[in-house]
Amino acid sequence: MSREAPRRWGERPPEQLEKRIVIGPEGEVIARSGKVEYGQGIRTGFRRIVAHELRLPEEAVRVELGETDVVPWDGGTFGSMSTQTDGQALRLAAAYAYQLLLERAAARLGVAPANLVARDGAFHATDGREASYAELAAQAPLAGPLPAAADVAFAPGPDFEPEPDRVEARALVLGQVRYPHDVRLPGMLRGHVLPPPRPGAHLVSLDDTAAKALPGVVAVVHEGDFVGVLAERREQALQAIQSLEATWSDPEGDAEPPLEAQLRQDKDVEAALASAKVRHEATYHTPHIAHASILPSAAAADVRKDGADLYVATQRPFGLRDEAAAILSLDPKDVHVHPQQMSGMYGGGGWGVAALDAIRLSQAAARPVLVEWTRAEEFQRSAQRPWLDAKIEGAVGPDGRIVGYRSHVRTNPHIYASGRVPPEVAGMTSGRNAVPPYDLGQMDVSLTVERAQIQTSAFRSLAAAPNVFASESFIDELASLAGVDPLELRLRHATDPRLRRVLETVGAMSNWPERPRGDGHGFGLAATIYHGTYCAEVAEVYVSQSGKVRLGRVFAAVDPGRLVHPDGARSQIEGGIVQAMSWTLFEETKVSDGRITTRGWRDYPIATFRDAPEKIEVRFVYDMETPSTGIGEPGSVPIAAAIANAVCAATGARVRELPLRPARIQKATR
Amino acid sequence: MRYELSVNGQPHVVDVPAGTSLTSVLRDDLGLTATRLGCGHGSCGACYVLLDGSAVASCTMPVDEAVGHEIVTVEGLSQDGHLHPLQEAFLKEDAMQCGACTSGMLISAVALLEENPHPQEEEIREALSGHLCRCGVYGRIVMAVKEASR
Ligand code: FES
Ligand code: FES
Repeated sequence: MSREAPRRWGERPPEQLEKRIVIGPEGEVIARSGKVEYGQGIRTGFRRIVAHELRLPEEAVRVELGETDVVPWDGGTFGSMSTQTDGQALRLAAAYAYQLLLERAAARLGVAPANLVARDGAFHATDGREASYAELAAQAPLAGPLPAAADVAFAPGPDFEPEPDRVEARALVLGQVRYPHDVRLPGMLRGHVLPPPRPGAHLVSLDDTAAKALPGVVAVVHEGDFVGVLAERREQALQAIQSLEATWSDPEGDAEPPLEAQLRQDKDVEAALASAKVRHEATYHTPHIAHASILPSAAAADVRKDGADLYVATQRPFGLRDEAAAILSLDPKDVHVHPQQMSGMYGGGGWGVAALDAIRLSQAAARPVLVEWTRAEEFQRSAQRPWLDAKIEGAVGPDGRIVGYRSHVRTNPHIYASGRVPPEVAGMTSGRNAVPPYDLGQMDVSLTVERAQIQTSAFRSLAAAPNVFASESFIDELASLAGVDPLELRLRHATDPRLRRVLETVGAMSNWPERPRGDGHGFGLAATIYHGTYCAEVAEVYVSQSGKVRLGRVFAAVDPGRLVHPDGARSQIEGGIVQAMSWTLFEETKVSDGRITTRGWRDYPIATFRDAPEKIEVRFVYDMETPSTGIGEPGSVPIAAAIANAVCAATGARVRELPLRPARIQKATR
Repeated sequence: MRYELSVNGQPHVVDVPAGTSLTSVLRDDLGLTATRLGCGHGSCGACYVLLDGSAVASCTMPVDEAVGHEIVTVEGLSQDGHLHPLQEAFLKEDAMQCGACTSGMLISAVALLEENPHPQEEEIREALSGHLCRCGVYGRIVMAVKEASR
């Protein structure tokens, strides 16, 4: 088998039916996707789409995700869009398979397709004769390139009835779901790696005498800068790591010039700004934050001379397969990636560093190895969300319209370990949502991407959440300077009817015109269009004398186009809101001298039951004819600005730096 | 060292180094992996088990201290294929995303309802406040506990 040619950004191989849908001899249907499930419910959504097109009960369809031996190649599960794209591919494949089966049935039974009824995995003619999917599929391979969507008849609907339980929900409450941590292989050892204190540091000396003498220690692995231990038990491996005496060199700084990108440049921006009655400038800052999955990273590897099996939680099984193959000098087809349940990684789980630990240790031991990181390691070895600074200027004319907007965003790469990316990629990632979705007159939006002191990577919505915190805070500041209601000001500049609709809906949900204001109680609004999904949110806050913020109700109006799985979508929006309110109020990774010093939950508090909003109301406003867009990320995007705007309404304190710590709010109140 | 433990109503004998955490014994020696290891220092709630009916962190409990007590893990909540009412309620409310926190949440919720069958929302939030959920499912978990308490 020839190796697959490397693919360029955004490029996908052509779709083949046989890679997507397989109908077995018993009529069982397998639907395949290279995407992975990490709690966003895609297994359920995909199953439902395929079952609907094939006119089958949902239980008749099994979905296989990310098993690299069988599923179509995939670039990774990033961004809620990519799962939607795959959902559409599955829908097309299922509809096409149905069409082929129908044609075969019509030929076999000598009946016009229109006179056949599909039920329970068979086509039925009016005279009682039938042809099952299984026999029709056995007749000749169901295969070939997928036709264009316009050439396929889709099942009418969707009149989706009551929501199914998520496919894995029952296994989850029974504790039967298997995360990589739970993989137990015959002869398996526990491994642990000693990471360099800073990326790029080299090992100068190693004394492993004490470690080797510890009970249960099987080996200390030392190859160049790679140091790890193998032991019978997890605690023993950890203890051995702690007994190693290592010294490291300081990494050589690679002074890489920053990357500049112009995201929008209209004419005469300076003239527009200078002409206006009210001109304002402000700078916003968001810090590094951690993905902070509840289970630290883990992976099991079984490396043999002729192949390897990897039991991992990853957002990019094929990427990991190819990297492992390169490290082990194996053909990628001999590396088998078996995705396990993923403890939520929120966009940061693609890189599989724990898997690389396990691969190297298993290769050295010639035995299966399970690696489980500690909580401190999870904070310290994981790439963090980039920090972001936005300097924004804007101006409002005498008629209360914004006439000019200029913003300069500085941040770090959102693609882990990437070399230099082309400017358009930087714009799509680090510049995501830096251009506000309104008509703000003459606009100039530019971006600088520079390396941080530590590794940075993608995080739910990439730069959109920080960018929207800045721009939607700024819009509120302009509203207040111009003496215009913040909802009214946004509506004045929202030309997109779907944006207007979510703004108006969230205004009605929150009873915006009657909202309480001042005395430590306030409402704040923010909106975004994130990858085609429209989302407007209102947060209600109570701010104590000491500056502590408590969230009351949160209202969200969301337009994701056609909805496949409404309760799953609602759960994603709610979760996005809770996670992002946590970023907003509490979170900051501590970095000192190029190292992450955050070690555990005590120095990285996140929102708990006590902090979660009193109530979250989500309303979907959409048209069935509009194609679906993602719901995993948009809910998390506007909330920081909505909260900051609410804090300002409650106290008069405009805080432009996250997290919104009590001390910052108190200082801004004075 | 040999230890005799009672887990989910069954006697078990394990031979592990003294001081090994109860989490490790459950997961690595007894294969009961529903109990999750999230932090190892008592601050996330993922590893909670019932010890004589009270919810406790198993990651900070040396196995020595568990001897002589009745331990229940999530594997022991359902009876002959019948889900515990809280497991049913978690399903009904879809009170989980990635599920990493779910086992710990269930355990503390079971302990709460044993002690206080009809808790107020505030009491539920308080009782579960040692459990972190990064997916942000808190609201649905509160609903599930309310549902099970009806
Ligand atoms: S693992 Fe025990 S409390 Fe976190
Ligand atoms: S469901 Fe993912 S941590 Fe709670």
